[in-house]
Amino acid sequence: MTDSETPPKPPLGKQRMARFWHKAKQVQMLYLLVLPTTLVIAVLGYYPKIDVVFKSMYRWNPPDVEEYVGLQNFVDIFSDNLFWQSFQLVFILLIANLFKMWPGIFAAVALHRIANEKLRYRFQVCFVIPMVIPGMVWLLIWKSFYDPTYGVLNRFMNATGLMRFFHFLDGSPGNVETYGLMPRIARYLGHVDPETGESFGIIHNFVAPVFGDTWGLVLLGAFFLTLAIHGSNRHKRHIAGGLIAAAAALPLILILVQKVVVGPGVIGAALLAFIVLMFFLARTLGPKWVLWMFYIFGGLIVFRENYLYLFLLPVAAILISEGIRHGMEHFAAEGVIKTIGTLVMVFGFLLIGFGQTWTEPTGQFAYGAPAWLGNQDLVIPAILFWGFPWVGTMGVLIYLAGLQQIPQDVYEAAEIDGIGPMGMLFKIELPLILTQVRINLIFMTIGTLVSYEMFLILLGPSGGPGNRGMVPGLYMFSKAFMDGQFGYASALGMVLFFLILGLTVIYQKYVKVDK
Amino acid sequence: MPKKINKATETLKIGYVLFVLFFAFIPLFIMIVVSFKTNTQYQTNPFFFDHPSTWQWGNWSKAWDIVSGYIWNSIFVSVLSTLTTISMVLLSAYALARYRFPGRNIIYYGIIASMFLPGTAATLVTVFDLLRRLNLINSLWALVLMGTNGGQIAGVFLIKQFIEDIPGSLFEAAQMDGAGHLHQIRHIVLPMSIPVISICMIMDFLGTWNSVILPLIVLRDPELLTIPVGLMYLEGEYVKQYGEMMAGYAISSVPLIIMFIFTMKTFVKGLAAGAVKG
Repeated sequence: MTDSETPPKPPLGKQRMARFWHKAKQVQMLYLLVLPTTLVIAVLGYYPKIDVVFKSMYRWNPPDVEEYVGLQNFVDIFSDNLFWQSFQLVFILLIANLFKMWPGIFAAVALHRIANEKLRYRFQVCFVIPMVIPGMVWLLIWKSFYDPTYGVLNRFMNATGLMRFFHFLDGSPGNVETYGLMPRIARYLGHVDPETGESFGIIHNFVAPVFGDTWGLVLLGAFFLTLAIHGSNRHKRHIAGGLIAAAAALPLILILVQKVVVGPGVIGAALLAFIVLMFFLARTLGPKWVLWMFYIFGGLIVFRENYLYLFLLPVAAILISEGIRHGMEHFAAEGVIKTIGTLVMVFGFLLIGFGQTWTEPTGQFAYGAPAWLGNQDLVIPAILFWGFPWVGTMGVLIYLAGLQQIPQDVYEAAEIDGIGPMGMLFKIELPLILTQVRINLIFMTIGTLVSYEMFLILLGPSGGPGNRGMVPGLYMFSKAFMDGQFGYASALGMVLFFLILGLTVIYQKYVKVDK
Repeated sequence: MPKKINKATETLKIGYVLFVLFFAFIPLFIMIVVSFKTNTQYQTNPFFFDHPSTWQWGNWSKAWDIVSGYIWNSIFVSVLSTLTTISMVLLSAYALARYRFPGRNIIYYGIIASMFLPGTAATLVTVFDLLRRLNLINSLWALVLMGTNGGQIAGVFLIKQFIEDIPGSLFEAAQMDGAGHLHQIRHIVLPMSIPVISICMIMDFLGTWNSVILPLIVLRDPELLTIPVGLMYLEGEYVKQYGEMMAGYAISSVPLIIMFIFTMKTFVKGLAAGAVKG
């Protein structure tokens, strides 16, 4: 319909233009049809996204202040304690999410296996109903549960004796003699005498000098787990190892260089070097490289005190894993490295859990009215408990849809093979809904990183007492709309953007693995 | 499903599902219970209804006075933005699905690519600045406009695919009869793609209905607040009247419940699509 005779006389360029305009005239109605969407996406979608890149380089408080500061905002972010602290919370939430997803999976499987069809259908309808209630209503009702005097939670704990049990675990602050069970364990694992400055326990005398921090153990475990899946190509592994070591050494080099030269140019060069290293890492490792980006990012948080550990730990992990691979056959070595990684990680988590979380009594349980959202030691536990038993009805329905696609004969075959109900769960149902689980996990991860409505509503813009409930998104929000630092908030937005982009890369990789 | 029914495991499964459902419903139950109480009654007995003669029906009427305004604002914003979104999406999806024209791919991939760029989470500041310069601060139209933006991407993606599956001969026959683009959209696309359109509409509607952060930074006047922000401010008052608050929560849940009753199947699909979209 578009081909028409064109006279061959005008030169080629003009001829093309003429044909273009001819075509354009025919399709101008079509352009009119796509105009509204294009306009809306360009103005409301793309413009703010491009603008944020520029505005991240300004000191900006509209409508008055607007001053170009280059990369200063990013330099400030780098040394902003609250920002790093907010990622610590994100990390805790992500780990918690790994545990919180199980009740939902179990609920879906249980629902799927109920033999009575009528009952199953009724339950399914029941799972839909809570989704109809607006999210804000849920949040506010749960917030009322946490109220110290009126709240249902405290009253339940008082009525059942849970409050006394928590008091037993917690004790009273001030005197070591009155400490409860948990702070005593933590004291045993590691504490510093405030007067003499002497330190006791395994954490200060063994873990901190060797691994930098208890979180260093967790990170080291993660290094091993990732190194285990680096593949069988030795040449590639060595290149990747070198690149990782170089990237991990960057902060050290940056600090050394900054003793001589200071300026945003130096940091820019370091960033550039980092990007180049990551680029080559991505070419050698494939999508797995993203994990290393996150590890180095995590290392920057963990080893703030001493970046030497950020260099030493990955190098040690690489050397050890290569040593193991050298002496062993490929699959056996992979298993050994994985086991080491898991053990180190679990040990790290146990030390953190028992040695560094409940170190001092909160003293909140003694009188039966703990202020869950008003005490800085109770904020994070309250957030983690939020939504007990953590079954998102939406998630259950998504899992259920996956389960219902499992053909009947798979079950029958399994039954003939003599697989029991628990075996069915782990050998059939879980592997077959892995896609749904992954999708759920990925969205949960991105959601944890960017969404902050819940924290804003439960704790206010400053993230509650002691900023304990500060997440990155909320920090951006409060920087902009509480402190009026719009440029700084834009820079925070940029950092968030790159993190989400990294996660999307992972997401692209893992969702495509579809069965 | 194994055919032999084991009583013990069956009870266990049902028990676990009931346990989960119990916790899913207890907040709603307590919401209703407390909405009939004064603060003193709440403190003495939070878990169950008191004698009906002491029920505080006044809570509900007071809550209605506060919340009804929010509800109308929310309906205004959500309905308007859903309708504009879907009509714009229909126009462009039709053009993109049916015709090849210069720049088509750029436009289409431009729309799809913005799905992978960060949403208002990372660009909140610049979106706010844009709305300020458009003089839309403290106006419900800002929310309508931003709602229109949010729904376009997924809408174009879904509906374009759907239109591509409609047999081309239908359109050609209509063209023979001299039907223009708009005529074809109205008489072919619209009736044939009702299922996907309704899913998109519900997704958009819920997205705008539940949005918190944008209304929070854009709206200033108390009489302009939408439901989520209105409830948030209601909860933040210094002297909390729990009975009124809970009645307000209950009332503001009603519009979605009504919508759900009439469009149950589509509603669940829309919810799922919206949840996966994130």
